[in-house]
Amino acid sequence: MERSFKKEVQALTLGDGETFRGEGILAVTKALLQSGVSYVGGYQGAPVSHLLDVMVEAEDLLADLGVHVETCTNEASAAAMLGASINYPLRGAVTWKSIVGTNVAADALSNLASPGVVGGALIVLGEDYGEGASVIQERSYAYAMKSSMWLLDPRPDLPTIVRCVEKGFELSEASHAPVMLELRIRACHVTGEFEAKNNRRGAYSGLNRLEGPPRFDYGRLAHPPVTFIHERLKVEDRMPAARRFTREHKLNEIVPGDVDDIGIVVMGGLTNSVLRALARLDLADMFGKTRIPILVLNVVYPLVPEEVREFCAGKRAVLVVEEGHPEYIEEAINSDLRRADIQTRVIGKDVLPKAGEYTSDVLLKGLSAFLSQTRPARLDVEAIADRAGKMLAHLPAAQASVGTLPPRPPTFCTGCPERPVFAAIKLMQRDLGPTHISADIGCHAFATLAPFSLGNSILGYGMSLASAAAVGPNMSRRPIAVMGDGGFWHNGLITGVASNLFNKGDGVLIVMQNGYTSATGLQFMPSSKASRSGPAPGMDIESTLRSFGVTWMRKVRTYSVARMVKTLKAAMQDPARGLKVIVADGECQLARQRRVRADDARKLAGGQRVVRTKYGVDDEICTGDHSCIRLSGCPSLTVKPNPDPLRSDPVASVIESCVGCGLCGEVAHAAVLCPSFYRAELIRNATAWDLWLHRLRSGVIGWFSGRKQEAAA
Amino acid sequence: MSAMQRPVTVLIAALGGEGGGVLTNWIINAAADLGFPAQSTSIPGVAQRTGATTYYIEIFPKTWRELGDARPVLALTPGIGDIDVMVASEFLEAGRAIASGFVTPDRTLLIASTSRFYSMNEKMAMGDGRYDQTRLLDAAESNSQGRILFDMESAGKTAGAMINAVMLGAIAGCGKLPIPVEAFEAAIRKDGKAVEPNLRGFRAGLDAARETSAARGVGPDGKRHLAPEPQSDPLEGEIRAQAPQPAQDVMIEGVRRLTRFQNADYARLYLNRLAPVHTADQRAASGGKLLREVARHLAVRMSFEDLIRVAQAKIDPARMTRITAELNAKPDEPVHVVEFLKPGIEELCQILPPSLARWILRVSARRGWLDRVHVGMEVKSTSISGYLRFWLLAKLKPWRPRSFRYHEEQAAIESWLTLILEAAPHSPTLAIEIAECARLIKGYGSTHKRGTSNFQMIEARVIRAAINGRLPVDQAIDAIASARTAALVDPEGEGLTRCLDDLDRHMSFRVAAE
Repeated sequence: MERSFKKEVQALTLGDGETFRGEGILAVTKALLQSGVSYVGGYQGAPVSHLLDVMVEAEDLLADLGVHVETCTNEASAAAMLGASINYPLRGAVTWKSIVGTNVAADALSNLASPGVVGGALIVLGEDYGEGASVIQERSYAYAMKSSMWLLDPRPDLPTIVRCVEKGFELSEASHAPVMLELRIRACHVTGEFEAKNNRRGAYSGLNRLEGPPRFDYGRLAHPPVTFIHERLKVEDRMPAARRFTREHKLNEIVPGDVDDIGIVVMGGLTNSVLRALARLDLADMFGKTRIPILVLNVVYPLVPEEVREFCAGKRAVLVVEEGHPEYIEEAINSDLRRADIQTRVIGKDVLPKAGEYTSDVLLKGLSAFLSQTRPARLDVEAIADRAGKMLAHLPAAQASVGTLPPRPPTFCTGCPERPVFAAIKLMQRDLGPTHISADIGCHAFATLAPFSLGNSILGYGMSLASAAAVGPNMSRRPIAVMGDGGFWHNGLITGVASNLFNKGDGVLIVMQNGYTSATGLQFMPSSKASRSGPAPGMDIESTLRSFGVTWMRKVRTYSVARMVKTLKAAMQDPARGLKVIVADGECQLARQRRVRADDARKLAGGQRVVRTKYGVDDEICTGDHSCIRLSGCPSLTVKPNPDPLRSDPVASVIESCVGCGLCGEVAHAAVLCPSFYRAELIRNATAWDLWLHRLRSGVIGWFSGRKQEAAA
Repeated sequence: MSAMQRPVTVLIAALGGEGGGVLTNWIINAAADLGFPAQSTSIPGVAQRTGATTYYIEIFPKTWRELGDARPVLALTPGIGDIDVMVASEFLEAGRAIASGFVTPDRTLLIASTSRFYSMNEKMAMGDGRYDQTRLLDAAESNSQGRILFDMESAGKTAGAMINAVMLGAIAGCGKLPIPVEAFEAAIRKDGKAVEPNLRGFRAGLDAARETSAARGVGPDGKRHLAPEPQSDPLEGEIRAQAPQPAQDVMIEGVRRLTRFQNADYARLYLNRLAPVHTADQRAASGGKLLREVARHLAVRMSFEDLIRVAQAKIDPARMTRITAELNAKPDEPVHVVEFLKPGIEELCQILPPSLARWILRVSARRGWLDRVHVGMEVKSTSISGYLRFWLLAKLKPWRPRSFRYHEEQAAIESWLTLILEAAPHSPTLAIEIAECARLIKGYGSTHKRGTSNFQMIEARVIRAAINGRLPVDQAIDAIASARTAALVDPEGEGLTRCLDDLDRHMSFRVAAE
């Protein structure tokens, strides 16, 4: 894994009354242990990777509590784990990145939600939404509604998050439904503290096993005819039970205020943002005391009609602060108030944007517009609008003073083994012409950005080959599908490869074999060289593909750009129909560097010979065209001011962060660029032979260069 | 609810991999150890892979003990116009923070490194795509309340520390946080990782923050000027006596360069070629500007990058000194250097006599060998045999004037100079624009070919039209400048084609209107 969680694991052992300090997602992890879970699973992905990463490192603690942990191969298998709670009083939690993970898990979730659960089932969703998100922008809310699962969106402070986890299990058990808990990116990474409790062992677990299955009960199956009964149970039993529990345990909060002819209904996760916007408008203080009453929905689904009606009754208008599209909550409140014949006006997406993150400026504008529309008697609405306007007034001038800045999206790391593959694709296309490239999820998706700009579609994790199925037959050139080994095991093997072979498909598939799911933080996967328990899991991409019936397969070391270009051309031009697979082999450089650096440091200290390799560009020979940068895109290959007093264009330069992967030299060769690249090797703790050779060479070369200077003089 | 106590808000802009997360933890831990309510948020995701990202911190300046039961509600997102301290590890990112509205003159102290880590779009431009640093400095000054601007990257390098430690030092020294310097140091120590380097970096940042640093100081220009060659002395004397002041330094540099490149006679040829340009400059009352620009480009063009020049550069002892210094190699640590070369038929023909070279190229072109036959070589120039290969190539210098490349280059230079001299009577600015087009011709192999053909396209379709009077001078000046920019937009040449087509349409429209 990318980072070590030793300290975080320590925090998981805290007991009653001790103070836990740390990130939101780790607070959730601690809360799971305090709730007595028997099993935990999930699929890694920002922003919830740390939950599983920490669990994996906390093996001893978990063994002590009897908690079973699985790092699943995809979200569907994680969701299916919750099946253990259908029949048994086992508390379990799974986690993944939403919306994408929830999409993958949807089939299992539907079949879980239909029979319902007896053991508390909690799904921790990392909402990859807004600034910093890497996936399509959709809401998980629809899943809660369609499957009758409950959705918690806690106020983003650690005590509330922890309480929602604990109460989430109780809610699940009280209403026999799975519960989802969504945390936005910032809430996962927010730091804070809460008072810890002792960890609890589950009633049944690895330490206290169940004796056997219960009496056969057809009602526990998601199979007709009981599915028709389940459908009714959901609305007639489970939802009322959930609402009762929510109300009795005060999961939602009401913050009173003196300007009570209006009010605000807010999703729990946005509470701090709304309170801060109110504070900036002088309508709240820094301790959460507000002049406008607020209903905080820590449970966003289902709504509790009585609660909403009580809050709205007597108010002229309420503002619903609901992020994302569509506005499910606003519509639900609207129709419920009409049903109850309460005449409170519901304002929401008419003053707030229909789409996009509710950042501080959005809320300032929205709140000020809400007040201007409702004009509460006790407030100087003009002054407030003026105040909000002034806070944002500087923006146009500030933007103009800077101008249009070049973007800086994430990119392949220095020395990444995947980058050379795209340099090779670019070079191949120079000769054979452009072809359709279906991209995939993973680090390799960075190839869609400059300088490569390669990729015509991204259809989901492991979906690249499948998404080219109907392109190939309709195009004169073979399409290329790019897939990571993470995507291969997540989904691509069955959805892509098996389907292609089954349909006697054509096309080129490049599998990036870097040994980890790197984009999510270097987790192990089935074909990794090691596993969390030590030895390799033993699954191998090549032999798997062979057993599936792939006949055209080449494994190419990714840094060998020339060979990769040749192999790509062969795959593109092979007259025989059929799937051509290129396994692009190269270990994730982040993982490799971590190992190599430690090794080198140890060797250096021990007096052993160490070679440090760094590439360089002769700035006298470089003419500043930057072809090399357009083909490589390495962060350590950059530009610097031209040292030539007669030239102005900056020249290429390799900076200190170079790890010596050799791509720039390979590209200079493969693309016949220019003679300015060199590789420098510094030998530390040189041997006697090294030193003898060095002296001999320096002597001879010195003699020649001396003679040369004399001749020139 | 007025006059309330508010948290100190700190927004940190950094690039993935710079340790922004560690920096944030140091600050939070220092605050927490002193008993202040403090909260941080971040949006790491995949932005950790060298992309731009931010970390947001709020510290409530009253301790939990002072607050009693009260619990401040801290925000997770930074507010526009609500930031007390804006920290940026890189200057373009400071600019991004300004453009996002997080730096305001009524409140914000801007702590930023003036160093640049160029973005992909800036680096991949075919010419100079770097963002204007002066514009960023102006924006920093006009938008912030106070500023601590210095080169944190080099401060870190000097101290042997990561940039995040330097940033922490600057934050500690700025005086805006309710945290004393010792508490920050304690946070570094408590963290226990790379404590000594981090403390060194911290102190470097602290010192810089306490000094009133001048970000606009004029440093050395970073240019590597050539030392005078004994043979070029008389020529330099001539330049000092005759050439207008503004052109002198460039011409002297040119003479030294060409003496090294070939010999004093070749440098003399340079001055002879400049003589009519000098006259034209005087006639057009250009004040030496035309002469200076032509002298600059001419010197570059005349010292073209053939195999001999590359070999010369590769075995220049000064180069080895630079490489060993860059690697921080100690005297007893051997350094090997391996050169990547891939000469083809065209490179070989450069040094053959013109007639032979032309014959080989004709045959090779017919058989389609030109793009296919290349010999990839990795030559260790620090080994004896490798060194000797370059040494022998460099020894071909006296042969150069008889080589094919030399002939080709001289012809191209003469034709370019003729264009300049023909344009000068129309307008010195037009002549300078034509001279400036020499920038397009650079590089090796296909890059050089592409540049040359771009130049020829601009010559045929714009420059000729201007000299013949088919295009008014003002329009021609604009047209050449935009064609040149367009030629440097994309390597596929789509920008240039579009630009020239637009111009053609415009010209035919004008003709029709007449």
